[in-house]
Amino acid sequence: MGFNLTVNGDRLSSAADPATPLVDVLREEMHLTGAKPVCREGFCGACMVLVDGEPMPSCLLPTALANGREIETVEGLAPHGQLNRIQAALEAGDAVQCGMCFPGMVVSLTHLLTTRPDATRDDIRAALTGNICRCTGYERIVEATLLALATR
Amino acid sequence: MMAGTPIRNIPVAARDTPTSIYIAPSLTAALDALNDCGAAGSPLAGGTWIMRSPIRHEPLRPHYVAIGRIAELTAIRIGSDAVEIGAAVTHAALAAALADLPEFAGLAAAAGRSANPAIRAMATIGGNLAASDFAAADCVPALLCLDAEVEISGRDGCERISLAHFLEVRSTLASGRLLTRIIVARAERRTAHIRLPLRRSGDYPVAIVSLSVRVDAANRINVARIAVGSVESSARRWPRLEAALLGRPLDAAEAARIAAELSDEFTGRDSVDAPAWYRVSVLPGLVRRAAIAALGS
Repeated sequence: MGFNLTVNGDRLSSAADPATPLVDVLREEMHLTGAKPVCREGFCGACMVLVDGEPMPSCLLPTALANGREIETVEGLAPHGQLNRIQAALEAGDAVQCGMCFPGMVVSLTHLLTTRPDATRDDIRAALTGNICRCTGYERIVEATLLALATR
Repeated sequence: MMAGTPIRNIPVAARDTPTSIYIAPSLTAALDALNDCGAAGSPLAGGTWIMRSPIRHEPLRPHYVAIGRIAELTAIRIGSDAVEIGAAVTHAALAAALADLPEFAGLAAAAGRSANPAIRAMATIGGNLAASDFAAADCVPALLCLDAEVEISGRDGCERISLAHFLEVRSTLASGRLLTRIIVARAERRTAHIRLPLRRSGDYPVAIVSLSVRVDAANRINVARIAVGSVESSARRWPRLEAALLGRPLDAAEAARIAAELSDEFTGRDSVDAPAWYRVSVLPGLVRRAAIAALGS
């Protein structure tokens, strides 16, 4: 049995085992390596993608339950090379770090900007509790998000 | 070289046998499928526990029956007499539904502060109660101190049992039986749920104290329910502390003092994130914080 996924607007199919985590299908079959399988426990957020518009750790989603759903990975957030609002703010704020956690951060914050245009600093920090940074911390990321919110 | 056994970050596809996942369109279909699968099958709701089986070095079952799209299992009914929660309701949905009900402040906090936002949008209340090896489940102590009951369904009908009894039998539940609903009677009470994670949020809690009290006109406690989670392998009530608080004013410092005297009845569990003694030693402080929160509710 195969599965049909819409990934970054493209309709794709997979013949993976139904219990295969979505992150493995994205990386191994679709060569979308932005989502990283790091903790495989839903703690670190490095594998975060949007599923039907909601942030979801793709390490915990069996491919069978992704069938027929809209998946958006970090690769799909800048169509035609045009950075979205949070990507541009993170770049402008020199907040981009090693790249391990960052795709997941961008996915979570893209959702926050879409759904919470009035988000406060505390809201931003709460939204990032499932995205763990191993480099330098969160302050520049939070500041860049506040900048993005202010420059609507 | 590091000591110990490193976690192997391997994709599921590289593992042994294929797994089937049947997405049940209705409760009847789910119960039929679970019955047909027998011991080889298991329900799959949010998947946040089952999908981590490989890193616990546990094999996946051959068959799963996905119950997350069954309408009656994802509904919450808030009645004048009781709140009924479908087993596939997510933590996020439960926290949102209870936000305006002060008597459920403890349960709302348990559902709304566990794990992280994305996990709360996936993980279900039924999964939280049914995962017998998950000692740090937030909703278990929160529901224990609300005297919750659960409904267990099978092809031959359903039965309602107390949550405390369910916790005793959950790991030996017969094949084809499914936790379908959680029922909590409405009552006037003050509730609180206090958890101590190692980080401010996002981690498993080292220890949890859930509290539900009713006070009389003189502000003396006449009903007390206190449950402790994450300290031992399964959450449980703290009857000696409950009895000791009866007839006293709800006073945080006094509650903590009594808790300190009685906390030696707990035998903490050791794990990499916290030693056994530490889990027990923080209980009086959590009781104090729970009482303060209940006073403010």
